[in-house]
Amino acid sequence: MNDTPIVEVTGLSKTYPGAERPAVDGIDLTIPGGGIFGLLGPNGAGKTTFLSMLCGLLAPGGGRLRVLGHDVRHHADRVKRLFGLVPQELALYPTLTGRENLDFFGRLYGLRGRRLKERVERALAIGQLEEFADRRAATYSGGLKRRLNLVIGLIHEPRLLVLDEPTVGIDPQSRRFIHDSLRALNAQGVSIIYTTHYMEEVESLCDHVAIIDHGRIIARGTLGELLGTYQHGAIELRTETPPDADAAEALRALPGVEAVAVDDRLITVTSHKPETTLPALLAALGERGIGVASLSMGTTHLEQVFLNLTGTRLRD
Amino acid sequence: MPLRLYQLAASIAKETRVIRRDRQALLILFVMPVVFVLIMSLALRDAFSERAGIKFDLLIIDHDGGDVGRRLDEAFRDNIYFRVDTRRTASDGPTDETGVRAALTAGTYKFALWVPARATREARERVRAALGLARAPADREQGVAVRLLADPALRRDHRELVATALERALEAIAAGLITEQFAGFARQLPAGAPRPTPASVTIFDDVRDAAEGADAGPAPTSVQQNAPAWTLFAMFFLVIPLSGTLIKERQEGSLTRLRSMPVPGWVVLGGKVAPYFAINQIQVLLIMLVGIHLLPRLGGDALVIGDAPGGIALLSIAASLAAIGYGLAVASFARTPEQATTFGGISVLILAALGGVLVPKLVMPPALLELSAISPLSWGLDGFLAIFVRGADAAAVLPEVYKLLGFALACFAVAVARFQRGFRRD
Repeated sequence: MNDTPIVEVTGLSKTYPGAERPAVDGIDLTIPGGGIFGLLGPNGAGKTTFLSMLCGLLAPGGGRLRVLGHDVRHHADRVKRLFGLVPQELALYPTLTGRENLDFFGRLYGLRGRRLKERVERALAIGQLEEFADRRAATYSGGLKRRLNLVIGLIHEPRLLVLDEPTVGIDPQSRRFIHDSLRALNAQGVSIIYTTHYMEEVESLCDHVAIIDHGRIIARGTLGELLGTYQHGAIELRTETPPDADAAEALRALPGVEAVAVDDRLITVTSHKPETTLPALLAALGERGIGVASLSMGTTHLEQVFLNLTGTRLRD
Repeated sequence: MPLRLYQLAASIAKETRVIRRDRQALLILFVMPVVFVLIMSLALRDAFSERAGIKFDLLIIDHDGGDVGRRLDEAFRDNIYFRVDTRRTASDGPTDETGVRAALTAGTYKFALWVPARATREARERVRAALGLARAPADREQGVAVRLLADPALRRDHRELVATALERALEAIAAGLITEQFAGFARQLPAGAPRPTPASVTIFDDVRDAAEGADAGPAPTSVQQNAPAWTLFAMFFLVIPLSGTLIKERQEGSLTRLRSMPVPGWVVLGGKVAPYFAINQIQVLLIMLVGIHLLPRLGGDALVIGDAPGGIALLSIAASLAAIGYGLAVASFARTPEQATTFGGISVLILAALGGVLVPKLVMPPALLELSAISPLSWGLDGFLAIFVRGADAAAVLPEVYKLLGFALACFAVAVARFQRGFRRD
């Protein structure tokens, strides 16, 4: 992690023609360099629009956007040389071999001769694709394709790597491999921006996180800050028998309780005084003969923070 | 090499590699037109050939009742290419022009010969005047008008054939009348009498002028029709692989990656267009070689390509740009490769049908011929046929070249506008 920000965004907005609401609505965000930054948000929250503007695919409607110190609007070509994009889709040519894919994209970055050859070999090595290098990408497994998709984004040794859900639909081994590769790249100084729907990936990889919804950043900070800020008052209990409606009602009346959610045997209590609520909660359950199988407080799951902030309603 | 050219070369090399490995596209682009040209040229050879065993139904309306009508009747009855019906009075059937035209439109007869009343008498007087035996008439240039009426849907070369047959028959009749008059005159001429002075008098009107709708020009051979027709069809059929690859690139995310790279749009597009342009030129060359060298070995007519290589090159370039522009326009509207394949394939088939590829224009009725003017394949085909059949030079096909280039420009403009709009909506 270093002090120089890789992305500085001020008042960034974008409204599509004919749309009622802006897709990105005045975002202010600074992403520190040298780390792995997780960008989360439900479908339609504005993630893709934000990333598209970041990568120069879409012109901002308003505001300022600087990547690695350059204004994206005025120095698009310079910025594009400094970052690598790994799109969510498998952005490669299935009828070309892995090596030919890397060679082609390398040439578009202006790599030539020996340097191009070296970079292709290096990328193959990072993706551990050497033995598949001369096979057509169409014959690759899902995991191999994802690995090739990843290393194409690295062909020109970018300072910033932007990954849009890079592990969709692959087996745990390939996912682990990609995570390890990203950690190694990050250790070598490559800054990473990562979007995903898998919360455990963000928890395992990212040091900074922002949650976007309805085109706005609704939470940001380090992972610890987010969990501490938004989940400190949560108590989660798994009971031996499901509580009935009366029991749930009684729990809501306990001191400090703000909300109670019951899902079969799982009770989630939100409290602004958890240290007071907890003993009362256990006593209330004991009085009704409901045994507690497990208990956790100040829950450390990012998914709960995400759902609390963005709601449980299904999105598009 | 400058960066942009280097990037363009990389794009072209990549696209060429992708196409080379796409067997389906190669089949569509190269094998299909060659097979079509071979099959259609050999299968339709007889239909285009003057050696065909065709018999025309001919109606002779003989208002004359004299030697001219009778001899015309005999001449066509002796000709193996005609089945002749003759009407001299109303009891034989309608003998007025309206009735005759109705019979032609109904398809009962393909041709009708209209022999006017007093034709024999007038012809004899004109012969006598020509021999100097009588005073020349005031209208010496206008001979007896034996008219040829034809079904307007008939092929031009068939009309030409019948017009020629009629011309020959009238020449023979005129010669017969001259001999007859001259013999009579020689018998009556007293010894030592002054010789009459021959005058220039037309005996029968020019048949070609009288043959209504007979816009006769040389007709193409089967291979002259089919080779350019199916080449144009194959050129436009690249709409399927071209739009397919563009849409796949958009769907599969490669386009997103390309747009995130320091590569201008024209390099990406140029990388796609250049290989397909080259493919089109190879198609033209390949089919010409097949027509010139392979078809004669298989028993077909050799392709005669005229004497205007510059004109052929211009047409080939313009048609290729039109086809590529059309492919890009289709890709800009279609959302899936399936949509592009279905719409692109069917629309090219319709344009080909209208443009005289599937059905030669010379057998099209006039109404359909007018409609065929909207098809760019028709413009290209007209240009190629002008060079191959009528020996036109490059300048003569410029109107067709301009039309194709205009179409290409319009398609490119639509495609670029659509793609830009699509990018903004991403």
